[in-house]
Amino acid sequence: MTMGDARILLKSSATMFFASLAPEMRLIGPKRHFGGDVIFGEVESSKEIAWDYGHDGYPPKRFLLPHYEDMFRYKTGADPQIQDVSDAPKQAIIGIRSCDVKAIRFQEKFFSSQIADPYYKARSDNTVLFSLVCNEPPKKECFCICCDSGPYLDSDFDVQLTDLGDRFLYEVGSEKGSKATEPGEYLLQDAGPNDFARRRGIELGADSRFETASYIAKAINFISNDEVPEKVWEELGSTCFRCAACTNLCPVCTCFTVDDHHECDGAFTRCRSWDSCQFSGFTREGSGHNPRPTFGSRVQRRFYHKASYQYIMRDGTHGCVGCGRCISGCLTHLGLPDVIKRIRRGMHEYLEPTGEVKSDAYSSKT
Amino acid sequence: MYVEPKDGRVGALCPSANHPVSTGRLCIKGWNLTGSVMGADRLRTPLVRKQGSLEPVSWQEAISFTTEALKRVLSDAGPAGVGVIGSAKTTNEECYSLVKLARAVIGTPNVDGACRFYDACVIPGLLETTRIPASSADIGSVAGAGSLLIVGSGLPEELAHIGSRVEDAARAGCKVVAADPRTSRLAPHVSLFLHPKPGTDLVWLRALLRTIISRRLHVESAPEMPGFEELRNSLADGEMSRLAETCGIDPDALVEAAEMLGKNPPVVVMFGLGVMQQAESTRIAQALADVAMLLGGSVMPLRGQNNAQGSCDMGLAHDFLPGYERLADADARTKWESVWNCKLPEGPGVSAVEMIRSCRSGELKALMVFGENIALSAPNTEESLAALDKVEFLVVSDLYLTETARLADVVFPACSFLEKDGTFTNIERRVQRVRKVFDPVGESKSDLEIIADLASALGRDVSREPAAVMGEIASNVAQYKNVSYEALDEDWGKPWPADGVKERLAPIPSGESKDTGEYPFRLVASRAHYHYQTGTMTARSTVLAREYPEPWAELNESDAEELRLRPGSMITIKSKSGSMTRRMMLSDAVPRGCVHVPVFFGGDSPNALGDYTCDPASGVPVYKGLAVDVGAEK
Repeated sequence: MTMGDARILLKSSATMFFASLAPEMRLIGPKRHFGGDVIFGEVESSKEIAWDYGHDGYPPKRFLLPHYEDMFRYKTGADPQIQDVSDAPKQAIIGIRSCDVKAIRFQEKFFSSQIADPYYKARSDNTVLFSLVCNEPPKKECFCICCDSGPYLDSDFDVQLTDLGDRFLYEVGSEKGSKATEPGEYLLQDAGPNDFARRRGIELGADSRFETASYIAKAINFISNDEVPEKVWEELGSTCFRCAACTNLCPVCTCFTVDDHHECDGAFTRCRSWDSCQFSGFTREGSGHNPRPTFGSRVQRRFYHKASYQYIMRDGTHGCVGCGRCISGCLTHLGLPDVIKRIRRGMHEYLEPTGEVKSDAYSSKT
Repeated sequence: MYVEPKDGRVGALCPSANHPVSTGRLCIKGWNLTGSVMGADRLRTPLVRKQGSLEPVSWQEAISFTTEALKRVLSDAGPAGVGVIGSAKTTNEECYSLVKLARAVIGTPNVDGACRFYDACVIPGLLETTRIPASSADIGSVAGAGSLLIVGSGLPEELAHIGSRVEDAARAGCKVVAADPRTSRLAPHVSLFLHPKPGTDLVWLRALLRTIISRRLHVESAPEMPGFEELRNSLADGEMSRLAETCGIDPDALVEAAEMLGKNPPVVVMFGLGVMQQAESTRIAQALADVAMLLGGSVMPLRGQNNAQGSCDMGLAHDFLPGYERLADADARTKWESVWNCKLPEGPGVSAVEMIRSCRSGELKALMVFGENIALSAPNTEESLAALDKVEFLVVSDLYLTETARLADVVFPACSFLEKDGTFTNIERRVQRVRKVFDPVGESKSDLEIIADLASALGRDVSREPAAVMGEIASNVAQYKNVSYEALDEDWGKPWPADGVKERLAPIPSGESKDTGEYPFRLVASRAHYHYQTGTMTARSTVLAREYPEPWAELNESDAEELRLRPGSMITIKSKSGSMTRRMMLSDAVPRGCVHVPVFFGGDSPNALGDYTCDPASGVPVYKGLAVDVGAEK
């Protein structure tokens, strides 16, 4: 199959189809755990995949940008040594949602521009995504439709699967997808007009069932033009419980820190782990000066990264895919849509009808 | 929480989406637990002091060295010469086995838990009132409350999941009344914030109780409740007149608070460390329980440690047996003597704080400390360090070489909760499994294995299998009778039953006024958002430790001006027992006359300022509201 082709993968053939990939690469998919929790993890066989999983809380971005990863080991002294200990196994991520595919595309661009990141690139080169269309928004917090990143994709996917009941519509969207299809291609069947009609019905149905709306265009205007009163950011900062789940769970967020673990044999391992712009220590400079000294200023910075022209120009898109994890993972349920609502409300509360800023809208207090 | 291992370390972690408490969320310390529990300086081998320094030895040597020393003390000074202090962070199985080791194997009455330093007032406070020495509310019910009274707790910093429920409740229209000398981060979610002067909580709580009764805001059946008349009579000497002067609370605001609570059921009354570490903490806990009972609501003590509840349930207390059976009760003693095949002394041993003092006086010859950095969690740091240095034989089991472990004769390397099986019991009494994710670091062992090894070397058999220990607990501790690992594997664990008890209102006589001496300021100590307890674990997380580059203290701008102190300058905070130096910041959240000192580590903990004065009913040291002087660093 080549890019743009669509066929049918019968569900009864799915296990065999993905088994054909297994000698080449590890398989990763949504697995059901205790109490109905779903987390993406390595599977022996696609039989373990919970195809009807709905949503997962922990973004599969971690298979490309691990939560914790060892990069290299080094020894100092008379005989200094350095040894690469990173790993980048060949892997297929099966059942990943459209929003997470878009997020990975965002990260691939980020980690290959300016200073290219060899660790990320090695993983990304070795990863093929078999995304699964959402037949309906998996949870009430989803708003991918407002971010042009779901519930199904027109581009950017390697392979896209649409659940048509007893079968998947199997679409190839990239060279990588085409190559990954080869071992099991003999199991695919031709798709008929009915299959495409059913797919379209599913897409239209999914489009109409979103409960959460995020007025991101408005926010982009306000934020890019620096029109949001400081008080709004301060209020947002004051209600935040400072857990940094919003950045940990954001499939787009790329921030990381590194630290060196002193090993028993005297060597050090340089480790990378997720970090957050919501921490004071993330931006505090060596002098002690912090360009983002307050919680409000850090919340502001995060949304500048998510939704200002400056970053949209650089990254090619805004930094939100509407997965809703920042809502469900937040201790105060303050996700991006709510922040935008607060910005809109704040604009009314703190601006005179003429558009002038009220005298008390900008305050340096935190 | 799910933790995925990779090469013997944490590779990934995330919250459980469906767990009834976490609901897909974690607090900052949960998200960053890796550095806390897997620090590079984890203890990997047992250590024994040889010619003054701690040297790595084999387990066999460490255990036999310990038991030989214990046998010497037992023969010279008898069982009462040994003290055992356990942790509220270890599993129920470990707490239970430690109590068994102390009481049945060593035979000492001196066994206590780390809760003595924090929240032990909950037990006498609630046993006398709600009759449940635990929360009578579950965490989920907070979000559905009509009104909440939250006293002395910075929930977003300390217990973010409960803080999150408060936020949910406030969003749904719940009336939130908070009381704290300082304006906490809860403020955006609070309907009415009372700011009592430190150390005056009993005064305003008596006034609140009186208002509830005099305005008939209580439930209709309240006058029929046992203890109602005694409570009413105990409140006769109207505190309203003293309210403004003594507590700094406007009487109208107090009436408004009473009306808010009385007219918006269901009520949940919560209280935290701010009122648990005072000279009258037990009575304060009883007053808060009375408020809840009069209003037909429930009460939730906000205990900060992961197994504070379970450790008390397991009898890790000098005055109780497991299941809150009283030592003074002959039937209870007979039962446990039969279960443990031993003879139990009738009277209670000494509390954890008293044990430290007894180390100094020489009455205690050997002290065994499991999983608590008592050098920093005890008051009067200078004296406590001297006491731990003086005791003849000190044994410490911990993840790291803590300030306490550095003074020890033997150090056992304990493993973390990721490296063992067991159960913890949370604030809402929910008994939950913790499962081993990877093998213990180095040669470290679970506390349960260490306890079993010690018992075995002393000639007794104590199980090293967590499931078997839970079997013994379930057979003998009433609250845990239906608990088994099989049952816990079926769902998220269940709160132990708390029904069928007959509540009783406690009388709340007025407290004694305390002379604060020559010191004009009151100390307001609080938890630092990014840290847990004495920082033994969280200070090892790169991300968490990075947030606070140095300790600080906060003053109100007017006080700072009056004292001619510049923000950013170093100040000295001095009490009767000690002094400390910190960089001063201004904060309008701190009222005049108070200095706010977030808990930090090393010799820089505000605990250093406390003396050995304790709440007489619970033995919890007084850390809050201490009289201090503030001035420029000399």
